[in-house]
Amino acid sequence: MTSGSLLLLAQAAGVSLLLAAAAIVLGTAVGAGLTAMAFSRLAVVRAAYRVWVYLVRGTPVLVLALLVFYALPALDLRTGPYLAGILVLGIYAGALFAEVFRGGVLAIPRPQWESGRSLGLPPGAMLRKVVAPLVLRYALPPYVNVCVMAVKASSVLSIISVWELTFAAREIIERTLAVFTVLGVAAALYFVMCLGIDRAGKWLERRLMVRGFVGEPA
Amino acid sequence: MRYSAWFATYGPSYLDGLGWTALTALGASAGAILWGCALLLIRLAGGRGGARAVDAYVQLFRNTPVLLPIYLIYFGFPLIGLPWPAVVCGGLALVLQNGAYVSEILRGSFKAIDRVQFDAARSIGLSPWKTFRKVVLPQVLVYSIPALGNQVVLLLKDTSLLSAISVTELTMRAKLLTEQTGAAYEAFLVVAVLYLLLVSVTEVIFRTAHRAVRWSR
Repeated sequence: MTSGSLLLLAQAAGVSLLLAAAAIVLGTAVGAGLTAMAFSRLAVVRAAYRVWVYLVRGTPVLVLALLVFYALPALDLRTGPYLAGILVLGIYAGALFAEVFRGGVLAIPRPQWESGRSLGLPPGAMLRKVVAPLVLRYALPPYVNVCVMAVKASSVLSIISVWELTFAAREIIERTLAVFTVLGVAAALYFVMCLGIDRAGKWLERRLMVRGFVGEPA
Repeated sequence: MRYSAWFATYGPSYLDGLGWTALTALGASAGAILWGCALLLIRLAGGRGGARAVDAYVQLFRNTPVLLPIYLIYFGFPLIGLPWPAVVCGGLALVLQNGAYVSEILRGSFKAIDRVQFDAARSIGLSPWKTFRKVVLPQVLVYSIPALGNQVVLLLKDTSLLSAISVTELTMRAKLLTEQTGAAYEAFLVVAVLYLLLVSVTEVIFRTAHRAVRWSR
């Protein structure tokens, strides 16, 4: 493989990482909003949450991508494949993040709620001082898993003509027929990205660990 | 267009795609569970080297997207003299990837088996192979039913990626119909509903199986 191809793949890996990063930012916001819906006082809102998560999780990312890719122009929104791709990954990751955050909230031990209430904390302070720090710690490992999934799912966007790592690999294969080397390098790049995110997550987990905290997840 | 006319025109095409998707998912799921069991056996019986090899395999497949093995097998195998049909290539890629996840699921369940059972198995004279087949595997599989269900759902959704290597499953059908009719998102909406249907059926099957073997706890 020429150094030109190698450079191209490295650049494409950068694009994949940027796509995933944008999707993670968007997905975290979407997930947080959905989680608020999941704990709404209104049964209708809670039902809407369940239906949305069911729909997004029950559909392949590729089908979601094709739907958005074709549906947006029909709605007179010409975004191009990149924005459509980020939107799709964000929607997909958002539903997964929502389940992660919801699990984190449910894992908060009951005494935490009770003591917060008995201290007379207003809802805002309760959320900031009690709920958020605990959810952050409980939800971090699965959150990192979803981030890794976002990187891997970004490869699907190659099918809606987003130029990223998998697309670049196919392009180079069509030109050079070097199937094994090109896909091997692409796999190595994905591996490094995913493992890097995983390691960063583990590091953060250790950093956030509170020594002596006895609040085991409920 | 009236519904019956719509169905007469496009129904067979979607049904054919649905059949291919279901068949691929079923075959690849069975293969992935078998491969996962084999990987567990290698991990348990292969000594330190075996466990390390399985770890490396699992790490590799966990941290790379499924599209890569799909392309690798589909474009690579003809170069080494194995021009297999696209479904087989794609199915094999799904088996290899999901087998890695299945082996991790089974490993988790394996930890739930009480050590005393291994002493008991040895004391009644079971060979290691028989212990694996008669004691370990049945319990591990039963404990794993919910997690395996999740994995099969993921696999089912990943069969959509085989459209990239020209397998005429659901997603490919929608693409072809889009080219014919120009009605793009309608076609993908139909396909999305069909996937939801397949996913729901899979979930019901695994939930029923889980309930049916409650005796195990």
